[in-house]
Amino acid sequence: MRHPVNIPTPASFSREHIQTVGDMFVENARIQCRNVDVFYGEKHAIQDVSLDIGRNEVIALIGPSGCGKSTFLRCLNRMNDTIPGCRISGEIKLDGLDIYANGLDVVPLRAQVGMVFQKPNPFPKSIFENVAYGPRIHGLAANKLELEEIVEKSLRRAGLWDEVKEYLHHPGTGLSGGQQQRLCIARTIAVSPEVILMDEPCSALDPIATAKIEQLIDDLREHYTIAIVTHSMQQAARVSQRTAYFHLGKVIEVGDTALIFTNPRHQLTEDYITGRFG
Amino acid sequence: MNNPKEDSQLSNLGIRTHQIVKAGLPRRRAAETRFKAYGLICIVAGLGFLVLLFGNIISHAWSAIEQTYVALDVTFDESLLDPEGKHDSAVLAAADYPALLKKSMSALFPEVKDRQQKRSLNGILSKGASYELQRILVKDPSLLGKTERVWLPVDDDVDMLVKSQIDRSVDEGDRRLKDYQIAWIDKLMADGRLEKRFNRQFFTSGDSREPELAGIQGALMGSLFTLMVTAFLSLPIGIASAIYLEEFAPRNRWTDIIEVNINNLAAVPSIVFGLLGLAVFINFFGLPRSSPLVGGLVLTLMTLPVIIIAGRSALKSVPPSIREAALGIGASQMQTVFHHVLPLAMPGILTGAIIGMARALGESAPLLMIGMVAFIVDVPTGLMEPSTVLPVQIYLWADSSERGFVERTSAAILVLLAFLITMNGLAVYLRKRYERRW
Amino acid sequence: MQKSTLLLLLLLISAYAFHLGRKRARDIVLGKVKTLHSLPNYYGYYTALWSLLPALLLLILWLGFETPVINHMVMESLPDGSQALSADIKGLLINDIRNSMNAGGSDTKPELQAAVEFLRLLKIRSGWLLSFLAVALAFVGAYFARSRIHKEHRARNLVENTIMSFLLGSSLIAILTTVGIVLSVLFESIRFFDKIPLTDFLFGLQWSPQIAMRSDQVASSGAFGAVPLFTGTLLISSIALVVAVPIGLMSAIYLAEYASLKFRSVAKPLLEILAGIPTVVYGFFAALTVAPFIRSMGADFGLDVSSESALAAGLVMGIMIIPFVSSLSDDFINAVPQSLRDGAYALGATQSETIRQVVIPAALPGIVGGILLAASRAIGETMIVVMAAGLAANLTANPLEAVTTVTTQIVTLLVGDQEFDSPKTLAAFALGLVLFLATLALNILALHIVRKYREQYE
Ligand SMILES: Nc1ncnc2c1ncn2[C@@H]1O[C@H](COP(=O)(O)OP(=O)(O)OP(=O)(O)O)[C@@H](O)[C@H]1O
Ligand SMILES: [Mg+2]
Repeated sequence: MRHPVNIPTPASFSREHIQTVGDMFVENARIQCRNVDVFYGEKHAIQDVSLDIGRNEVIALIGPSGCGKSTFLRCLNRMNDTIPGCRISGEIKLDGLDIYANGLDVVPLRAQVGMVFQKPNPFPKSIFENVAYGPRIHGLAANKLELEEIVEKSLRRAGLWDEVKEYLHHPGTGLSGGQQQRLCIARTIAVSPEVILMDEPCSALDPIATAKIEQLIDDLREHYTIAIVTHSMQQAARVSQRTAYFHLGKVIEVGDTALIFTNPRHQLTEDYITGRFG
Repeated sequence: MNNPKEDSQLSNLGIRTHQIVKAGLPRRRAAETRFKAYGLICIVAGLGFLVLLFGNIISHAWSAIEQTYVALDVTFDESLLDPEGKHDSAVLAAADYPALLKKSMSALFPEVKDRQQKRSLNGILSKGASYELQRILVKDPSLLGKTERVWLPVDDDVDMLVKSQIDRSVDEGDRRLKDYQIAWIDKLMADGRLEKRFNRQFFTSGDSREPELAGIQGALMGSLFTLMVTAFLSLPIGIASAIYLEEFAPRNRWTDIIEVNINNLAAVPSIVFGLLGLAVFINFFGLPRSSPLVGGLVLTLMTLPVIIIAGRSALKSVPPSIREAALGIGASQMQTVFHHVLPLAMPGILTGAIIGMARALGESAPLLMIGMVAFIVDVPTGLMEPSTVLPVQIYLWADSSERGFVERTSAAILVLLAFLITMNGLAVYLRKRYERRW
Repeated sequence: MQKSTLLLLLLLISAYAFHLGRKRARDIVLGKVKTLHSLPNYYGYYTALWSLLPALLLLILWLGFETPVINHMVMESLPDGSQALSADIKGLLINDIRNSMNAGGSDTKPELQAAVEFLRLLKIRSGWLLSFLAVALAFVGAYFARSRIHKEHRARNLVENTIMSFLLGSSLIAILTTVGIVLSVLFESIRFFDKIPLTDFLFGLQWSPQIAMRSDQVASSGAFGAVPLFTGTLLISSIALVVAVPIGLMSAIYLAEYASLKFRSVAKPLLEILAGIPTVVYGFFAALTVAPFIRSMGADFGLDVSSESALAAGLVMGIMIIPFVSSLSDDFINAVPQSLRDGAYALGATQSETIRQVVIPAALPGIVGGILLAASRAIGETMIVVMAAGLAANLTANPLEAVTTVTTQIVTLLVGDQEFDSPKTLAAFALGLVLFLATLALNILALHIVRKYREQYE
């Protein structure tokens, strides 16, 4: 086990039962998670996870189904608040600020940390309204022109503009699955968040749409911090710099994507990526 | 994407978003709080109406528990009642009791001489007081010739005054009781001759024009008979229909039409069913007007959709695996349904049926159409006799102008609500008790 | 014999027939039940059905046709002078005869004495004849069925087919009801429109049906213009919806989105009690408490409010339909998938923004369907308006004045004495037709929307 020497660990962090192999911590982290536990009622879904997400990096979360990837991701912008009976302990900091601090408002947090879901969930509104929704509620556009500009730019960045520019006022639910997913991505980046969480964004898509979204992720990386959950090892390898392997609610191994896939250090990780498990 | 200008723009955007969102937050949080408050206010308003309604009715109804009685010393004068001394019950029954009452009243107030005043003095007593005397004497003929203190019901206006529901401070001209009448009543009260007693009459007699004599028993019996007919017809037909549609019917245009039709029937205004009943059952088939039979038939047609819909959803909730298991051991489809599916769905069906019956019990509009609004004094004893039902009785009393009917109407409403609450409570209990999660 | 006694007797006979059939089946195979086609009980049921159904059918037919046939026979027996009378007068006459028979013959008009006696005789004979025939038929049926039983007899299939016919027949009653409603209302309406032109009825501004009762008045003098009734109905229903829709919708939103599970489990059933209270209770409440209250409130503001104001009736009706709006809306709000809410939350929307801009638009078709159903309920509501709204057919949009409604007029026209040919009575059916068609359109539209919507999220 390699302990990073140059990174100070917070005092609240207990090293007693370290379960994770690899570099959990990075310099200049954007998000820092320490000893995070999540319960759904009695069920202990995330157990003592500590993990950093760096600036302008894409981190891939992989692991067998039900191991808690989505749960972990939803902790990062407090989407778990909407689930009755869900409890979280531990510490999660965004740019050094505890996002679970008392009295913290989730609205600006979520504007800062956007999320794309596994199943595309466009609102039953027009394509334009879907994308304009975020800027509208936050008042990001001063006038209609500016709003149209934001919508166009977001759709362009999501690689959807050319396909829908004629149909901006048609319902978003009428698009194909892949288009819907890109619409949801456009909707998310229209708010200009700083972190984007993606939960299996390509699970319902064909290879071409997947390629488009992977390209998009690559482009976004320059300015955004991205955490992506994926079941596809190839996809993780293509888009991410770091990879975290989850198993039964624990982070088993974290490290450079290239290293993890070529040279896993934990037996479970190796079993998973060689396809012997999961 | 490698345009450096756009890049720096983008990284600034994130910070800009953050600032703008922060700035707009107080306004949005206030809107949030307001919205939530509106919701709460609306629920409180809805529940407030409920409390208001119940409070209003209970506050009007409580005084109907008691009825004022006056104590009179009545001499069962033989020369007046039975001049020929036959002691025959037919003679006793036909005797002139009002005259006895007049005598007793004048004995109490000898100073009243004026004819007009004498009449209003006798008006203190209920019109039913003489029947009460008759009843007493027929029951016990040995009272003949003796003087006995009897308690007799008073007129509704007097009753209202005693219950302080007539305002004494109102101008005499606008009051139903004049000052001198009030003086008599006060005197009676001072003598301890006026007393409020439990209003048995209300539960044991039929309708009457006099509030103090009116009761709900006739209406209750009418409701009972009507509901019996309804239950007897709508339960088997409704359940059979639900079974056919859910278990046997092929899925095609026809069953689609039947389904739409049933859903629509459930929302047809009840008064239209009354028109149907009037045109078909009364005018075409010549069934007797105002009878519980026709009322029951109309209510059957009205409750059928409710029972069918509830029955179907209860049957639907029985998992297919049960059917497959029974069919798998060689039972016919009919046996499967009647031996396995139906017993499991029965609690759900019954819950729906009870709710349907409760609705039928509270229904009045269609019954107005088929003549169940007649003024009926006798307590009905059969399906073909003219009768009324409790809700219609409430409607009739609510329409009367006498002050004394207000409390009785409210009391009748309470009785009706008590029945409805019991039935619905039973339905809830059934559902809770036999609820199954598959 | 009493009909109920007869029915009981028939049931007893069929129980005996059950026993008969089962025994016969056992006897035929000498106790080797396995060789029978069906279980012995089915032979019992088969015999019982044969014994009960024909007799029951006879009973029902008899009861249906007894009155018309006897009436006819009594009329025939009357002296020749009566034969030439019109159908209406004949009807009155027969009523007279029946009434005097029921009254025990004490105050019978002498000229009807013979007819009354004849009627009494016929009734008694009819009763005995029916009892005899029904019992005989029951036994004949039972023995006939018994004679049919043999080893290969497919009793189970026959019994099941009979049950099946009963099930099918039951489900047709709903259709028959609709047909019955349409026919009865339509038939009388056509008779009405023979006397009063349809256009006068639909577009006339003057409603005073009582005038047409006078014999010297021409029926089509314009007293049957239903427009004031339509506007009155719309006015009261609109007031009701103005009360019920915001309260119902906001309550549903609060219950579905904000309320804790515990609060919801208490408040929701309580709110639904409002829909279970009989409408006559609301009518009483409106007439006794709300209308005077509004009137005195109006007086405080210097307004002249009618004691039967549309406002009072509409307000109370609104309270009644709150649960119709709220419980359907609640269902539909709950049916909106959580993923849509998540999508909005993830963009940083507050809860109320999510509800107003995502959840409600998504649930809108269902909510509109619910509101349409509530509207149909309001239009067809009878007791509240009969008790709290007026009878004067004012053409006004002022909620403080008294208006009358379609349902109120139906009740007023039909309660009390009836001559089945006067335009007054027939007008009630014409109004009923309009009411039925209007609510039918609303219901079908609403049910269609609701159904479509359910499919969308299933
Ligand atoms: N709302 C919930 N209530 C209760 N338990 C939940 C809930 N959501 C998830 N869980 C449980 O928490 C555990 C982790 O679930 P999670 O959805 O995070 O898994 P996952 O890694 O995303 O799986 P997948 O790859 O299939 O999406 C699972 O065992 C699941 O059963
Ligand atoms: Mg997941």
